Amino acid sequence: MLKFHSVSKRFDDGTQALSTINLDIPKGQFCVLLGPSGAGKSTLLYMANGLVTSTTGQVEIDGKMLNRTNIKSIRQTVGMVHQQFNLTPRLSVAMNVLSGALPFVSYLRAAVMWYPRALRERACNLLAEVGLAPEHLSRRVSELSGGQQQRVGIARAFMLEPRLLLADEPVASLDPRVSREIMALLRDEAKRRGTTVVCSLHQPELAVEFADRIIALKGGKLVFDGSPDELVAAGLDGIYQLDAPKPTPANPALHVAPQILEALA
Amino acid sequence: MKSSSHNLPKISPDWQLTQPWTAKHLFIGIALLAVLAFTGSRLEMPRMFKEIGEALGYSVGLTEKSPVAAGLARIGNSLFPIQIAEVTEVSRIENFDRNNLPLFARIEIQETKTAHLNHETLQMETGIEKKEMLVAPLGYLKTVLVKMGETLEIALWATVLAILLSIPLAYYAASNYSPNKLTYFLARSSISLLRSVPELITALFLVLAFGFGPIAGVLALALHAAGFLGKFYAEDIENADRKPQQSLEAIGAGKLKTLWYGVLPQVIPQYVAYNLYILDRNVRMATVIGLVGAGGIGQELKGRFDMFHFSHVGTILVVIFITVLLLDQFSARTRKKLL
Ligand SMILES: Nc1ncnc2c1ncn2[C@@H]1O[C@H](COP(=O)(O)OP(=O)(O)O)[C@@H](O)[C@H]1O
Ligand SMILES: [Mg+2]
Repeated sequence: MLKFHSVSKRFDDGTQALSTINLDIPKGQFCVLLGPSGAGKSTLLYMANGLVTSTTGQVEIDGKMLNRTNIKSIRQTVGMVHQQFNLTPRLSVAMNVLSGALPFVSYLRAAVMWYPRALRERACNLLAEVGLAPEHLSRRVSELSGGQQQRVGIARAFMLEPRLLLADEPVASLDPRVSREIMALLRDEAKRRGTTVVCSLHQPELAVEFADRIIALKGGKLVFDGSPDELVAAGLDGIYQLDAPKPTPANPALHVAPQILEALA
Repeated sequence: MKSSSHNLPKISPDWQLTQPWTAKHLFIGIALLAVLAFTGSRLEMPRMFKEIGEALGYSVGLTEKSPVAAGLARIGNSLFPIQIAEVTEVSRIENFDRNNLPLFARIEIQETKTAHLNHETLQMETGIEKKEMLVAPLGYLKTVLVKMGETLEIALWATVLAILLSIPLAYYAASNYSPNKLTYFLARSSISLLRSVPELITALFLVLAFGFGPIAGVLALALHAAGFLGKFYAEDIENADRKPQQSLEAIGAGKLKTLWYGVLPQVIPQYVAYNLYILDRNVRMATVIGLVGAGGIGQELKGRFDMFHFSHVGTILVVIFITVLLLDQFSARTRKKLL
């Protein structure tokens, strides 16, 4: 479904954000990109819909290589959920959700904000699914709590009926209890539709709880790729403390899986 | 008792608290004053202060005489009482129907002493001439109000046209939406050009092109305001929060839809404020551009001024003042409601 072929990214200022990443994410997988701040998670996610272009290597979605000519049509099949929700503040909840279907409506309809019945129904269904109430429809998003705003963000992302959903630290601005609710919601919505999800996180415990597969990045390099169980076996702290002292019998939490040590070498 | 400062531990010499201003600032201040003094003497500012002082002194009885106060008093006396009624000689009104007078109007007989030469006796004879005058008690006020209405219409149309013109200008002048450097440069230059030519000058030329009347006025005001609005609209587009725009860009919504959903809702309150300011400014400017024949109350003002009808001028000024006052109230209220 989503493949990264030896992608790397070097920003204009010389920052090497990613180096030679190879990944194949199959359809329907809930895949978590795990790593500390600055690891390159956002950069990798943004490459999947061309918001960042790779310096070398290629991105393939559904058998098509991403390039300048097909980028717009591919973006229209890829939903996105953001850390800061990225909703339009003075617009109503309903309009924010409907704006997720903007690629499908004519300029005239978009301008007068009259959406076809099918899209309005889809918006209502999604808002009900994410746990909002009818009285929220006409409310401005700025009047909602952070968790509610991210629910709106998720509803908006699914308006596209995307094949692939990118979530960039969707719960980083939320408190732990709400974070788990939102992650559960995101996973349920995706599983129900068979949507492939790539979600970046910096909390290993959330990754272990919700992911089908965890891909850990550090310093732009892939340091772990496996199931949550394998990550637990490898030792969660390993991802964050790869530079720390070698594991000792006295510190079993620091047991680092062989592939992680390999990546370091 | 020992001073406690002796007990303080020694801190690093990096801690230096300097004075908030230095000789350099003082020098800049003196230089600015010197510039003001120089230009002030060129502009006769000392005479202005002296004469204002005299006038103020005169008004409280401290100074014997003040040419400025006398001048102002003369103007005041000629403007007031303002002209409310309209008096017209009946014989000059075409198709006068004395059984069907305008509302509140009445006919008065005016007697004027006349002196004329008798051609036979070659002597001056005095006589009394009776003229019938139609007196409309609120007639002139009505004329002025109608003209003021026309002025408001000019301002309204100029504002609407300015908004329509400035929308494409703003799109091309916003660096993050303009298709390329050339369109950006062209839009920015047009905006500067529009803003740099004063309305009165544009009106002067447009009167030559379109003739006397409101068309020249509407266009002159609209062009200038479009430059103003284009600049401020564009700057708000550039400064709008990027996050909502990024989320729409990410799903391939396209530039125009992104602008409509990601930017416009953010900037609408400022845009409304600009539009109200422009409406307000256009009303005030519309009273002025009439001076060059571009329609509205200014045309009436100029005519009366040239004929030394100062009490009529007084009426016009009072009406303009009240209109601007009401408009201020209206914009303040609208702004509050929309923000
Ligand atoms: N636009 C950019 N220009 C220069 N460097 C960038 C840019 N975006 C990200 N970086 C750098 O690339 C690295 C990876 O960033 P990012 O992908 O945002 O990490 P993460 O999302 O895992 O926190 C960081 O060192 C960051 O400073
Ligand atoms: Mg990030």
